[in-house]
Amino acid sequence: MRAMYLANYFIAGCIASSLLGWIASLHPMSFRAIAFLAVAAFILWGLCWLLDFSVSSLLKISVQNLQALLMAGLAVSIIGLGIFLCT
Amino acid sequence: MYLKMFVLSGAALTLWLAPLTTLDKHIGWHKAMQGLSLGAAIACAVSAGNIARNLADENEIEEIKTRAITADVVDEIATSAYVSQAQRQHEAEFILTANSQQETENNSELDSIRESLELLISKTSSDSSELSVINLSTRQREQIELILQCHIKGITGKNKILKEVWGVSAGSSQAYRDAKAEYDFLIPFVNGEEE
Repeated sequence: MRAMYLANYFIAGCIASSLLGWIASLHPMSFRAIAFLAVAAFILWGLCWLLDFSVSSLLKISVQNLQALLMAGLAVSIIGLGIFLCT
Repeated sequence: MYLKMFVLSGAALTLWLAPLTTLDKHIGWHKAMQGLSLGAAIACAVSAGNIARNLADENEIEEIKTRAITADVVDEIATSAYVSQAQRQHEAEFILTANSQQETENNSELDSIRESLELLISKTSSDSSELSVINLSTRQREQIELILQCHIKGITGKNKILKEVWGVSAGSSQAYRDAKAEYDFLIPFVNGEEE
């Protein structure tokens, strides 16, 4: 059951990523805003990888869990945007 | 709850993939429908995730309860076994104590008998004239009387007296030995009576 709720949240993230792509396709300004958000998120993601021990102590989770979250976030973004762009 | 969770998960996947693949992005209302379906799909997925998390928490609580009940049962069995063992040990100690007390009483009784016999023997050996039949039992006094009557009749042999008074013949039987010991014990008193 724990795997089931993790899978549901993963799917929710993928759908949210697709929704962001859909928002970006509405208007050039929204595209810029979403692109800015994506770049900021990517920089934040890289910083989290570099400062994983500090961030894990800040979030009070283990380093392994933080790395898993970062990998899952990357997978969610890629899958959601990929499905939106490929359809 | 399980059915609801699975239906919501399926609806989320359907609302996510079906509009994106079937509808055209260049048509205005198709695009609007895609956005709506994506929003609904997010809601369905998050609801399904929440339900699944609640179910997982309930399952975990049930497992904790089961472990607690099992631990209680094990603890109860161990406690009853301990109590039973302690009770058996207590009973065994009680039996041993009672036996030792009885043994002590028997020893004290034997000691008192031994002391009285030693006192009697010392009296007998020290001065035969001080012997008295007062401390003898009625039966022993009667036996002394019978022995004296035998002496009056002229029966002086030990075995004859034993035959007359105790009714036992000479031999190695236990009755003969007892009668002989009693005769030896009574002879000093008989002599004292005759004097």
